[in-house]
Amino acid sequence: MDESHARKFQKDLNAGLVALVLLGVLSRSAEDLYGYEIAKQLQKANEGEPLFKEGTVYPVLRALSANGLLTSRIVPSYSGPPRRYYRITEEGRAVLADWSGIWRQTRDFVDRFVEGADE
Amino acid sequence: MNRAPRSIDEYLKQLRQVLQGADPALIQDALYDAEEYLRAECASHPEKSEADVLELIASTYGAPEEVATAYRDTEAKVNAALRPVIPRATESPNPLRRFFGVFSDSRAYLSLFYMLLTLVTGIIYFTVVVTGLSLSAGLAVLIIGFPFFLAFIGIARVLALGEGRLLEAITGERMPRRPVHPGARTGFWARVGEMLKDPRTWTTLAYLLLMLPVGIFYFVVAITGIAIGVALIAGPFLVMAQHLGWDFNDGISVMQPAVLAAPLIAPFTIALGVLILTLLMHAARGIGRAQVVLARALLVKPGM
Repeated sequence: MDESHARKFQKDLNAGLVALVLLGVLSRSAEDLYGYEIAKQLQKANEGEPLFKEGTVYPVLRALSANGLLTSRIVPSYSGPPRRYYRITEEGRAVLADWSGIWRQTRDFVDRFVEGADE
Repeated sequence: MNRAPRSIDEYLKQLRQVLQGADPALIQDALYDAEEYLRAECASHPEKSEADVLELIASTYGAPEEVATAYRDTEAKVNAALRPVIPRATESPNPLRRFFGVFSDSRAYLSLFYMLLTLVTGIIYFTVVVTGLSLSAGLAVLIIGFPFFLAFIGIARVLALGEGRLLEAITGERMPRRPVHPGARTGFWARVGEMLKDPRTWTTLAYLLLMLPVGIFYFVVAITGIAIGVALIAGPFLVMAQHLGWDFNDGISVMQPAVLAAPLIAPFTIALGVLILTLLMHAARGIGRAQVVLARALLVKPGM
């Protein structure tokens, strides 16, 4: 099938999922992470072929932080501009629990219709 | 469509280009994030040249066009999802509720606080700028004059960023969350020239100077409004308490002119006090918004 259809579909799906995945990554991590580290973790988790471009991670991190779901602090770095390290807040954890519930419901619902369709 | 960038500076330049016309604060943040990623990526592949790393950037970080779209979309989408629209009393169709609804708006209280705070920040900004400028001029004949001037401009920029953060906290309007991107990695003197030519350098200084008279004005308005409003509301009650045998200041009338506390007039006096406080809250909210417009015009680089 047309490659661009697949890419468009993936992009639409990602729109809401990136924020959920980022909250998940940060809630599992024992340490604070900065944007580049998070982007690399996602890349590794999907065998080097990320589901979304790493550049899309940063604006979502900033938006989550501006809305109080993450806190951040700045640490100087040798390799470039100071890094911004993120940590999930209590509010962020509550939202994550909420959102993962919604995600599971949606996934199960969608699966009921598309399961086996690709066989 | 641009050709693929071959260096970090080129990438940032293209990103800035495709973001043209977006919120200046958003552009500033996007450039900052991209530089963090690109420099970290180069540092983690010391065996490759910058050009080699950049060749793969479109498939990992994303091409400038993609990244720009991500920032534009995210700002709209994530904010819409996370900030549910709460029906505020200020939007009620009932004019009376809309008028007094200002008391349930936290922004109005914060703006009132900002009006009081600007006297302090205004004095600090003014002192820093006047001291910085005059010392720079005085030391100009010596070798340390110029480095001193550069350090002074740096401090002014930090103050400007801080003022922006303060205004965002108070009004909720988007202001830059990152320092200004220094621009292409050109030589030291080229950058200094760039900085001197940049109108934002000078408008920033103007803003900081302006904040002293503006701060005094805000402070006076806020203090006068609060004092008169509270006095008009509390006065009649205190006079009543005095009649009931409470003793303030050996019987000196606590309300002047005393007629304001007369039984028939007192309700109007109190109502006037409430009216003045309410108007002050409205004024504070308006001033908060106006201040953001001013700060955007003078502190945030227009268009970049």
